[in-house]
Amino acid sequence: MEQLSNLVISDHELEAIRATLSKLLHDTSASTVMLLDKSGQVISNFGNGVRRNVTSLGALLAGAFSSSRQVAELLGEKDFRTIFQQGMHENIYTTLVEEQWLLVIVFDKLTHIGLVKVLSKKATDELVRVLARVKADTSRRKTSVINVEFRSSVEDTIDLLFRD
Amino acid sequence: MALINIATHEIHCKIVYYGIGYCGKTTNLQYVYKSINPAIRGEMLSIATETERTLFFDFLPLDLGTVHGFRTRFHLYTVPGQILYERTRLAVLNGADGIVFVVDSQAEKFEENVQSIAELEMYMRRLGKDLGHFPFVMQWNKRDLPSALPVHVLDRYLNRRRVPAFEAVASSGVGVFATLRAISKSVIAQL
Ligand SMILES: Nc1nc2c(ncn2[C@@H]2O[C@H](COP(=O)(O)OP(=O)(O)OP(=O)(O)O)[C@@H](O)[C@H]2O)c(=O)[nH]1
Ligand SMILES: [Mg+2]
Repeated sequence: MEQLSNLVISDHELEAIRATLSKLLHDTSASTVMLLDKSGQVISNFGNGVRRNVTSLGALLAGAFSSSRQVAELLGEKDFRTIFQQGMHENIYTTLVEEQWLLVIVFDKLTHIGLVKVLSKKATDELVRVLARVKADTSRRKTSVINVEFRSSVEDTIDLLFRD
Repeated sequence: MALINIATHEIHCKIVYYGIGYCGKTTNLQYVYKSINPAIRGEMLSIATETERTLFFDFLPLDLGTVHGFRTRFHLYTVPGQILYERTRLAVLNGADGIVFVVDSQAEKFEENVQSIAELEMYMRRLGKDLGHFPFVMQWNKRDLPSALPVHVLDRYLNRRRVPAFEAVASSGVGVFATLRAISKSVIAQL
């Protein structure tokens, strides 16, 4: 068993992670989206395919990933970062978030793999930033609301920026 | 559904350019990409065939920066217009906050435009949205071509909802930003 990672994820960072995962879930129409530590720890888990055995799933997915990575290494693959498991009903797409986390998307055949690839890449970029914040253990706070002033400021900004 | 993240102070809006194959959707995004302040735009992503037809979608993120404490982002997408990609269009539409319907103004494309709007209305219903209460603008594109139908004809038959409509020649940039400003403001007004 691998050692637990020393990362401490604050409430605030977890909130950001959950936003990324739920957006990914929504936009891909996936059944489950998970963020795992490379050790197999489930950091966050989203989806309607409620997984009773989420803990073992996390461990297995992380294991399968590192196993595939070993295979790739033996075959001389240089930058192995994703695996795609195609099933009868559900497909699983797993991708590395730097060297620390794994983003896992479980989806059925109504969802296009291209969409999953593109959007998981975007999500990964977001998660990389969260990870950096987690590592630096920083947090930010702001307060604001969407009000009339906000709307009119955005309108002015649109007029200013959306032009040739 | 726009993502308004109070915790992270971010707003994401998705705008989809819809319309028949070859009507000029990708051309709109390409013009925005090459003409807008580079600081605002992200990378444009195009998933296309070897012949430049959109296979899946084009994607262009625009970032207004922080406005009143919120980072405001617009994500522009195009759908693949060719008939065979209908399921893909539905996928790209999912989660849209606003739609630009790009019309190929040429007379010989009229019927195809009509069918495409009908398809869009059906998809929106399937997604639980009513186009009548949704940020939606029309663009009459290819105004430079000799067989372009008069605008009042297009307006009568293709714009039953009387939404804002803009004449355009996307290949030379005419009307592209007017269209983008209109849909963006409409989306923000509905937030
Ligand atoms: N003359 C003229 N040509 C245009 C105009 N707008 C776009 N085009 C041309 O029309 C062709 C098709 O444009 P695209 O933007 O690729 O069309 P599309 O709607 O993205 O097509 P699909 O990806 O197949 O759905 C290109 O050769 C453009 O240069 C216009 O206003 N006038
Ligand atoms: Mg295109």
